[in-house]
Amino acid sequence: MNITDLKRDEKAQITSLGNLDKKFIGRLMDLGIYESAEVVMLNCLTFNKLYVIEVDEIELCLREEDAKQIEVKK
Amino acid sequence: MIYLLAGNPNVGKSTFFNLITQSHVHVGNYSGVTVEKRVHHVKGFEKANLVDLPGTYNVSPNSEDEGVVTYSLLKESYKGIVNIIDSTHLKRNLHLSVQLLELGVPSLLVLNMKDALRNNGYIIDAVKLGSLLNANVISISARERKNEDHELFVSELKNLQTHKALELNYPTPIKWGIQRIHDLLRFDTMQVKKKWLALQILEGNEGVFQHLDISKVDRIREVVLEVERRIIKEDIALSLKGAIFNTRRLFINGIVEQCLIQVEVKEHSKYYNQKVDRYITHPVLGIPIFFAIMLLVYQISFGNFLSPGTYLTDLFGQFWDNILTRYVGEFLLLIGIDGFAFGLIIDGILAGVGGVITFLPQIIILFFLLAILEGTGYMARVAIVMDRFLSKFGFNGKSIVPMITGFGCTVPAIMATRTIADKKERMLTILTIPFISCSARLPIYLIFINIFFDKYRAFVMLGLYLLGLLVTLFSAKLLSLSYFKGSGSKFIIEVPQYRMPQLRTITYQALEKAKRFVKKAGTFILIGSIILWLLSNIGPSGIEIAQEDSFMSIIASFISPIFTPLGFGNWQATSSLISGFLAKEVIVSSLEILYMGNIAAAFTTVSALSYVAFASLYVPCISTVATIRSETGSTKWTLFSVVYPFIVAYIVALMITGIGLGIQAII
Repeated sequence: MNITDLKRDEKAQITSLGNLDKKFIGRLMDLGIYESAEVVMLNCLTFNKLYVIEVDEIELCLREEDAKQIEVKK
Repeated sequence: MIYLLAGNPNVGKSTFFNLITQSHVHVGNYSGVTVEKRVHHVKGFEKANLVDLPGTYNVSPNSEDEGVVTYSLLKESYKGIVNIIDSTHLKRNLHLSVQLLELGVPSLLVLNMKDALRNNGYIIDAVKLGSLLNANVISISARERKNEDHELFVSELKNLQTHKALELNYPTPIKWGIQRIHDLLRFDTMQVKKKWLALQILEGNEGVFQHLDISKVDRIREVVLEVERRIIKEDIALSLKGAIFNTRRLFINGIVEQCLIQVEVKEHSKYYNQKVDRYITHPVLGIPIFFAIMLLVYQISFGNFLSPGTYLTDLFGQFWDNILTRYVGEFLLLIGIDGFAFGLIIDGILAGVGGVITFLPQIIILFFLLAILEGTGYMARVAIVMDRFLSKFGFNGKSIVPMITGFGCTVPAIMATRTIADKKERMLTILTIPFISCSARLPIYLIFINIFFDKYRAFVMLGLYLLGLLVTLFSAKLLSLSYFKGSGSKFIIEVPQYRMPQLRTITYQALEKAKRFVKKAGTFILIGSIILWLLSNIGPSGIEIAQEDSFMSIIASFISPIFTPLGFGNWQATSSLISGFLAKEVIVSSLEILYMGNIAAAFTTVSALSYVAFASLYVPCISTVATIRSETGSTKWTLFSVVYPFIVAYIVALMITGIGLGIQAII
């Protein structure tokens, strides 16, 4: 499953970053998104095109297509 | 004594400077890049100079700004490092700290925002953190501006000592790689530890390679590949960078567990799920709310009635024209300067510089209001709301702030693109923003609308603004499909907590930007004014001549035939466009002078529309071009920013002429 499969306020652990490009993974890492990090789904916006998640008490907003690449397990 | 000042973005650096600095100076740019270098003097410790590094999460550069950090660590001479940390985001901030502490340079960690952390129910044991990290650590709250915080900082900085470099227990393949690279660099002299450099190379810090012996680069890259292979094969992590990151993360988690102490149980309120956000980032209501807020901002800064911005600009303009220019004029006549030199100073320099500098009050107010919106955390929400629409054109949600600023003035709009991390998206935004109708074009619209389109005022005005916006979006799309392929494909933004912005910080930010406006725009406008005035007042036959005999007229007559298909192929209209390069408002004054107040007779309805559209789009003004040059650091793209709009404007004006004449023929 990936981040977009999570329901609001559900917690999960990141298992892989899929096929995202290296540079973008670098940016995600800067913000604390990497394998084994815990995420909480906070909300989906603009008709499920954007997702707001929480990692290490930081709240981030990312696009659906990128969120779909981030695999998680509960 | 120089200290480098490093920290993540948004850790309250400006507030910190407000607390500890006496003054600051710009000392030009970092070599090779366009990032401004600033040095701050510490109050109460005159010998200490803090060199302000750009905000970064990582020593490895993701953008040009961040490249400066690696460069400074390797090449600058410094006594120590001051690392500012946002206490409320300790874990993330410590990633940078760990990298800096691995250097083994005397370091002072300043845990800022103590008050905000305490409000969340936590405190940090600074002494313990210091002993675990081998560094000096202090906890302060720059926002509260307490003298004791300032004294604590100064005394710690004075007593900064060298500590043992921090060593983390990286996986075996990485340790092997560090040793290999260290051996390869054995005979090179460097000011930083080679093991640190090796780790940075393994992490993918491309900036380091520029400072290495080229003959070794290939062998070093081989080592990196070998380590990466082993990391993946031994199932340590998904990538080498990931393995390093994870080691640091586990180390940091261990430390934070020991040092972050909960003193009070408070319900952690989510930043996002507040009631306000339900409306502000609402899929339908979000955009109208945003437009309403922006309308208010514009009304206050540029509006027609009850606008402090317009009022102050009028006042400043009156002062400039009626008092400054008048008295300077009288003074010049008094000391016997008249004729040519008088004209140069009064009609050239003072009129030219005044035409632009009088917008200063409006610009300060606009920046002040935008700084408030930014400071509250609202702008991050706007970026979220607009992202979907803008991404279709290769922009990024974050491009919205520069675009909005662009309706006021293009120069600050281009400066505002600095928040866009992706270089392609930033360039795309810089190159297309000049099409957005800035406030300097308003006088041109007004004069032509008054004469030719009195019946359809609002319609034509709206059309002209839409034209600018459409050309911006169209050009962005074009560029994102060609040279900047892939632009707009990625977006991630931190959703900040809503905060009450501080008046001091906001004023400081607005004035900083205003200063840049005066400095950058000022120098170019001054030089440009002199050149243009001289060109229109000197001719082959000497000085004090009729305008038709000036070099300007000769040049304009030479160029003007290319405008014949557009309906305004005469030297007056052309000269005005040439002068308009100085500042778009100048077009209006040039037209008035050259046509001797009879613009109505010189244009038809169609050629008037074609001229207005052309004047709006043709080239950015000289201050914009100068800003594009300094922000992109590229002559090629600066040239593009002049040539491309000219072509676009020509096509648009030609289309208007064609369609207009067609309609006239039918009627």
